[in-house]
Amino acid sequence: MFVRFQADDIVPNQQETVTRAMFSNNVGNLITFFTSSAQTAAQKTYYYELFNSASRSPTAEAQFSIAFGHRFGSGSAGEGGQVDDTPSRAIYSQYRQLCLDAGIKSFTNDGANSNFIYVFNFNRSRLKDGIDEGNIEINLHHLSGSQYIGGPGTNSAHTGSNVKLGNARALRLVDDSKIASATMTSAGEVYNIVSGSIENGVFSSASPKYYGKIFPRLGVVVLDGRKLDLSASFGTVTGSNVAGDNAFKLYKSISGSAAKLTDLSGDKLGLSARSKEYVKSTHYFVRARASQFNFSNNPTFVTGSDGDLAISDFINDPKVYLTTIGLYDDNKNLLAVAKSSKPIQKSFRKETLIEVKLDY
Amino acid sequence: MGYLNNSSIVIDAVLTKKGRELLARGQNEFRVTYFALADDEIDYTLWNSDHPLGSAYYGRTIENLPITEAVTDETQVMKYPLVTLPKNTIRIPVVSVAQNSYTFKSPTDRITITPNTVNFPSGNIALGYTAVLSDSDVATFVSVSPSPAQASGQDTASSVPLAISDLESSQTVTVSGTSFVLSGKFSTIRSKKSTLTIIGNETGGRVTIELTVNRLTQTNSSAANITV
Repeated sequence: MFVRFQADDIVPNQQETVTRAMFSNNVGNLITFFTSSAQTAAQKTYYYELFNSASRSPTAEAQFSIAFGHRFGSGSAGEGGQVDDTPSRAIYSQYRQLCLDAGIKSFTNDGANSNFIYVFNFNRSRLKDGIDEGNIEINLHHLSGSQYIGGPGTNSAHTGSNVKLGNARALRLVDDSKIASATMTSAGEVYNIVSGSIENGVFSSASPKYYGKIFPRLGVVVLDGRKLDLSASFGTVTGSNVAGDNAFKLYKSISGSAAKLTDLSGDKLGLSARSKEYVKSTHYFVRARASQFNFSNNPTFVTGSDGDLAISDFINDPKVYLTTIGLYDDNKNLLAVAKSSKPIQKSFRKETLIEVKLDY
Repeated sequence: MGYLNNSSIVIDAVLTKKGRELLARGQNEFRVTYFALADDEIDYTLWNSDHPLGSAYYGRTIENLPITEAVTDETQVMKYPLVTLPKNTIRIPVVSVAQNSYTFKSPTDRITITPNTVNFPSGNIALGYTAVLSDSDVATFVSVSPSPAQASGQDTASSVPLAISDLESSQTVTVSGTSFVLSGKFSTIRSKKSTLTIIGNETGGRVTIELTVNRLTQTNSSAANITV
């Protein structure tokens, strides 16, 4: 009844990379974004957690978080009124610790320091083992920064209800993995974020326009705030000890793009991404030779209490239908079970080879 | 011209509760070394030797049966194993035991189970039987007689159950041998039930014994010199 696997029947530790749409319900292009009513005002000075539907809805699931960081603490207010303990400084330091090699003080983009950054941080349950590089597209609607600051307002006041959608234009960003190889750091592979789209590739691939970095293994995208000010009119508040609520600008921009803008084919310009998962598996080759497994202990296979074959056709020519494969250890503990999609006939004239895949 | 079937079929396996337990213990105990096949959910009375379209259609209804997904309770799958027997076999070996249910009435009670195989000369004598206790909270193996193959080292299946500490609860316990002695695990709160499944290691075939452990009371504990 139990047949021992031969050494070459077991192929261990095979790895398969499985990619999926990043967001809940197999959504690859997220076009609805909701902040969380459960977050406190203090938490929102650090980050916003974004959901796919109203956060109190039973179907709502957290998708990713956004945050704003400033190397020197500007653009947010500290509780003690000092720039050293502001949330923006804490966020910048946090991502520096996560993403950069020890001793490096600042994010860089296109050779210059990024002293203030906007961050996407994808939720672990969405991310699996990482972002599938080459398949992420961030669309940012232009904001009202330059009109407001150049007109009636000041930089410090470009926050709250003063932040509006600007010209109906999108800044479309992708990673440069299609045209460049990764830089390896202690955070794994790092690619640049450049202007372009998944559909049309990197814009001006001979001289790309750089906007930040993506850290696929961490599920983090860091955008250079200075470049967003220039190209998407973010009007980032950079005053010292001013509650700028800059992270909300990123929310305003991505949600505005998804709601208002489409590409040439009419698709909404939301946030597109795929996750990547490394699935480890062992393959077991189950071989039922012609002379093996041709009788059954199934109660319908026999008749009466003596175990007589119930079907006269099966005398000297038994046929059985296997449906289930059990994998056992030496002590006959049943460790795993596999079932075929349909009954497989087995007889003295048939051999069967079944590959059983066990994922970990 | 149609396409031929591929020579191999790939199907996904799921871990049983026992498989997960052994993985979670983290002591390198998860090692698949054997396989067995079964035809759970097949009803051979659907074989129709009178099918009007001829012999190719005798098993048509069985072959078209949609198969249910695997369940992870190791006591609920592999119920009817396929076995290897000589081609001219006309009777399937049957595993039997003296009684199909037993009640532990006091802590000193023991049940000795010595399975027997009929219809097959020397069936399961060499490799013995596998006994699967479905709930370690209900009973425990006191002793197991190893099979000749175990005694000689040809079969590495253990006749000593995997040690279950007091911190672990409600697990299946599997052991191999030719004869099994069990005692009940008593509780002052309620009586408990479990099953012991005996499977022939060579001929397949199984028999299930219902085990009941009565609640520990002043009466049944006094005989065992236990104070409740």
